Amino acid sequence: MAMSETLSYLRRGRVVRRHSWRYTIMACLPLVVLLAAWELTTRSGLVTPFMLPPLSAVFGRIMEDAASGELASAVGTTLWRALAGFGISAVGGIALGILISQYKTVRWFFDPIISVGFPMPKIAFLPIMILWLGLFDVSKITMIAFNAIFPVVTATIAGIEGVEKQIIWSAQNLGASRKRLMWDVLLPAALPQILTGLQVALPIALIVGILTEMAMGGYGVGATMQTASRMADSPGVFAGIIEIAIVGYVLVQAMAFVRRRLLMWHPEALDATAA
Amino acid sequence: MAGLTARLIRYSPLLILAVLWQAVAQFGLVARSALPPLSDVIKAWFALAATSGFWFNAVDSLYRAFAGLALAIVIGAAIGIAMASSKPVRAVLNPIVEVFYPLPKSALIPVTALWLGFGDTSKILLIFLGCMLPVTLGAYNGARGAEQTLMWSARSLGASRLRMLMDVVFPSAVPEILNGIRTALATSFVLLVSSEMIAARSGLGFMIGFLGDGGNFDAMFAVVFTVAFMGFIADRLYQYAMARTLQWR
Amino acid sequence: MHAQAGSQIVVENLSHMYRPARGQPVLAVDNVSLEVRPQEFLALLGPSGCGKSTLLYLMGGFLPVEKGRILIDGKPVTGPGPDRGVVFQHFALFPWKTVRANVLYGLERAGLPRDERLKRAQAYIDMVGLQGFEDSYPSQLSGGMRQRTAIARTLAIDPDILLMDEPFGALDAQTRSLMQSELLAIWRRSPKTVIFVTHDVQEACYLAERVAVMSARPGRIKAIVETKFDRSDPHLFKQPAFVDKVDEIWELVRNEALLAQRLVAH
Repeated sequence: MAMSETLSYLRRGRVVRRHSWRYTIMACLPLVVLLAAWELTTRSGLVTPFMLPPLSAVFGRIMEDAASGELASAVGTTLWRALAGFGISAVGGIALGILISQYKTVRWFFDPIISVGFPMPKIAFLPIMILWLGLFDVSKITMIAFNAIFPVVTATIAGIEGVEKQIIWSAQNLGASRKRLMWDVLLPAALPQILTGLQVALPIALIVGILTEMAMGGYGVGATMQTASRMADSPGVFAGIIEIAIVGYVLVQAMAFVRRRLLMWHPEALDATAA
Repeated sequence: MAGLTARLIRYSPLLILAVLWQAVAQFGLVARSALPPLSDVIKAWFALAATSGFWFNAVDSLYRAFAGLALAIVIGAAIGIAMASSKPVRAVLNPIVEVFYPLPKSALIPVTALWLGFGDTSKILLIFLGCMLPVTLGAYNGARGAEQTLMWSARSLGASRLRMLMDVVFPSAVPEILNGIRTALATSFVLLVSSEMIAARSGLGFMIGFLGDGGNFDAMFAVVFTVAFMGFIADRLYQYAMARTLQWR
Repeated sequence: MHAQAGSQIVVENLSHMYRPARGQPVLAVDNVSLEVRPQEFLALLGPSGCGKSTLLYLMGGFLPVEKGRILIDGKPVTGPGPDRGVVFQHFALFPWKTVRANVLYGLERAGLPRDERLKRAQAYIDMVGLQGFEDSYPSQLSGGMRQRTAIARTLAIDPDILLMDEPFGALDAQTRSLMQSELLAIWRRSPKTVIFVTHDVQEACYLAERVAVMSARPGRIKAIVETKFDRSDPHLFKQPAFVDKVDEIWELVRNEALLAQRLVAH
């Protein structure tokens, strides 16, 4: 399933990626095929328009919503909540990960919480959050952060603990104090793994955001989808799916871009310090 | 014995939190409706466990999750292995996999509810669709990793294509499939609970909403923690089973 | 035991237990005693797993001294520090920093003013022959260039003692011999005490003035051999005196190497 990329080191100190048009076309192909299959299926009469509304109806609905500003407001709301929750989980998760890796007591306290909490369907706690924090953004964002923080914490801990001993020794050898060691060496060295944790957390934030909207109503893509479902508004439901898919895709690509930028020095999958 | 004390020390923060919970609630530091004392929640749990309704709902939930997961595992693994072994299959299915990979599975809840209503089938379909992907990916990657030399040996010993799939490719893919199933297991619980909270007439997720709406917070807390711990225990049991299976490989 | 006056490094009855996360503790270093004179080039030679790197790490202060003593200029070792610069086999460069930034790191920690830091860093980058690559990242460099960066980084803090843990072990044979001559040249220009760990007998004889031969695990000093040669001779490797010395030391090592092979690896 891997697409080929072209990576060329042109000059010392500079990494240049050549975009081939072939690559972008190949990437769009699955989508085009799927859309074509969709259209064919609706036309074939195999399914009712209720089960699978024609592509035109769905796109029409999306365009309507875009024109009326509905789309922007729904997507904007969902996005703002997801990103807010993600931001909190990112900052909090990294901070907690650092503390856990550095202080034995902190580690002892949080270890079972993380170990037990990770596989739990934390969405089950939503009614409790609503009880505590109400029916609006605060409870949604808190639930999002609560879910998304787990992979960030575990990735941060793994990243910091996985730093090669000899890099730490070199830094100490060159005179780094404990504080300097964390900021100059451990965090940059752990960055690839921390970013992976963030890349796992972002889709979780989006998923949980949509779930909370479906469960609680209000604005947002999840809420509109749920309403459409209740009103047997089939194009509305499918429009929502497409909108979320696009948002999800854009977020994942954005994170991948950020990762490439931040890790320019790191030949992924290749340890730069190994011979 | 040393192992037991080590375990106790390891999990004692949870005990401390439980004690804290009880203390905070008991001394009225928070509103009673917001945080009922742990003792009351436990009492409520036992009261619920005495009713048949609780167990019917539990069975409903477990049945849906199990059915959906079983389908996802069997069909997902088959698709994954088929994709790894056959170019035309891969060509046809790859677009579908690639498009659905970034789609948040929770977006399927309104659709399945639209199609099949609030009953069991919509949940089973939801869990099946939502949990298939990690299993498929695990099977695909695992099957691709099947060692070329093993395959050639099997071939030269007279194995047919189908035999090779069953005797070489599938066993090689098992570890990755098992990992994919672990992810699918966690996803199944999330989809089960959320769909039951949003679009159902029975089940533990539905009970949570029902009890909360009725102001019966003690019981609501009890069911919330039941569901949460079910997910945790399921994962632990699965890890244990996975370790045992991989042991005698 | 009396330390000789003028010894810079004194190792007295040093033992070290290696305690892995799983499994039995293993005695890595067994009652080692050693003295190193200032600006001496000493090689620690032995088969894999014999504890020579462990000995080096103990000197560097990266492992705690539990049994015995290590004295540097009369003072016991308590932790790592810029007086004992270390160069590792796998370079241990900071991959997110450029060559220049790597070399600058120790100078920054030392608190030197900015102009001074940049001047010194450039001087050492030039000394190891990496002019033009200051802004490259380690992942863009060859193995030999990475090792030169590591050496420049360590030399930049001007340590009295240089601890080198098989620094050329990860390089190909040609680069390795080039680096060996360059190291000698650098050492002649700014003499320092060098402890050089290696398993390569020829390398030890070529670079060092004395070679400490270590036994297989648990590591003991089996013998210390003087290796005084005219190293400016371009045909040194073919000189009978050199060849004989290599053979002599190889005999000492050979049994240990065989023993080491039989020991089960952890």
